Amino acid sequence: MIPYINEYDTPECKNLAETAKKSIRTPASLGLDRCIQCGACTASCPAARFTDYSPRQIVKKVLENDRGILKSEMIWSCFYCYSCNVRCPRNNSPVTIVQVLRQMAINEGIGVERLGYFVEIGEYLAVNGASKVPSAGVKNMERDLGERWIKFKKNLESIRVELDLSSKDIRNIHGEVQAILEGTGYFEREKWIKERIQEKHLRHLLKNQCVNKEDTNGEFVFENDREHTGQPAFII
Amino acid sequence: MKTIENIPDSQLLLFKSCMVGQEYPGVETSTRYVFDRLGIDYCINDEQSCCTGIGHYTDIFEGLTTTAIAARNFAVAKRCGYPNITCLCSTCYAINKEACEVLNTNTEIREKVNSIFREQGLENLVYEKDDMNPKTNFYHAVEILLSKVNEIQEQKKFDFSGVKAAAHHACHYYKVKYLDVLGSPENPQLIDTIAAACGAEPLRWYEDRTLTCGMGFSQLHLNKKTSLQVTKTKLDSLQKAGVELMIHMCPNCHIQYDRYQPVIEKEFCVKYDMVHMNIAQFVALSMGADPYKICGFQTHSVPLEGFLEKNGII
Repeated sequence: MIPYINEYDTPECKNLAETAKKSIRTPASLGLDRCIQCGACTASCPAARFTDYSPRQIVKKVLENDRGILKSEMIWSCFYCYSCNVRCPRNNSPVTIVQVLRQMAINEGIGVERLGYFVEIGEYLAVNGASKVPSAGVKNMERDLGERWIKFKKNLESIRVELDLSSKDIRNIHGEVQAILEGTGYFEREKWIKERIQEKHLRHLLKNQCVNKEDTNGEFVFENDREHTGQPAFII
Repeated sequence: MKTIENIPDSQLLLFKSCMVGQEYPGVETSTRYVFDRLGIDYCINDEQSCCTGIGHYTDIFEGLTTTAIAARNFAVAKRCGYPNITCLCSTCYAINKEACEVLNTNTEIREKVNSIFREQGLENLVYEKDDMNPKTNFYHAVEILLSKVNEIQEQKKFDFSGVKAAAHHACHYYKVKYLDVLGSPENPQLIDTIAAACGAEPLRWYEDRTLTCGMGFSQLHLNKKTSLQVTKTKLDSLQKAGVELMIHMCPNCHIQYDRYQPVIEKEFCVKYDMVHMNIAQFVALSMGADPYKICGFQTHSVPLEGFLEKNGII
């Protein structure tokens, strides 16, 4: 597989730390080199509280230029709540570094199956100018939230009119959003992601029984990481 | 650091939020109702698109797309003469503010975005350095309300004295661009101060006050159990403190607490006494707005009828 080139989120650099610093996703003032491994990030992290996620460990791996981190399930547990960002005494920002790592993983086709759930957001935005909960999410919400929510959703248009709003939240974007998404290469990437998801799906079907251990960096293993899906370490 | 004296009350573009529009449309109507009564000069422009936040934070959109879409919305705001972007959603606020910083400080990206606009025949969207100021052109609606807290108190029709309320300030308002928060990012008090002006008794501190709502963008959908554990932690803390009203400022948090409170009750076998609303709905209510025709409480998952009856509103 030829990796996807995403030159602004994941600029090609000599090591992970440089890529993180130059990425459009991280602040220009990023204090990555100033990290003293104090763990304030992990101490304030909601994911660390309920799973084995550790922003401190992730930053350490980035500073050690250990690309094995891209294959770690751990990077997919962040809530993007920015608690580490506000608490870091060295102006580092693990939350934005993790965003870069996820983009790097996606470039290599790692974890793309998670994007399948959300991939329709782009097309909907291009046409309507607004975002929506993807249809898989709506299905889950219908199951979880039940009758009251389903009924409200059915009546949304008349409720909006009663509230003196247009019946549908569709924006007047004159095709400009579609043109921008074409210009930035969004659709190209979306197509690439969809193809990778399909490939993975096929490969999964083929290998079904014959479990083929993926090649992983043997240098480090986060506790339980290989089989651990980022789910609860303990239940309250 | 932002100061209350410098919060504008004119030329505000009330930035439409997708999640408000689809889940809690009454938040938009309530904000308009309150802004109208406070004499705020604002406009709503339906040419404005989604900020891309949901796609950006589910890793679907790359930074270039997010920045280009933001630049288009800045052009919309400037063109209509309302350049002070005022958000109902904390993620719109953070995305726009960050994109503005990138466009002003990163020449390569600014030129790339502009070259895309030119290639696509969208010259009218071209962004020049410092067209917008990340510090003075971006606000959250709650900041505007706080700057008018005395007027809110004067126009109060219902007094909520005795209502034990708790604020949930949105992460993407105070933890992303934490140097630009009204007050301390370790303990923001915007919602508390406004709620107090309406007579409520806000709980100024509670355990896990700064904990995220738990939505976590992809987390609610892909790691639901962990997501709801985070949500439950704060609800537990508020239940212990005897809170009856939880007040929000972001539709994502609002969904997580209001829509999923009954789900948590069922899945974790617990029971909560809290109801939920946005601070704009609360202020509108205290100014005498209709709970259904303005506040849109019929769209909520946790019924508010008991709360409204108890306070003599219905």
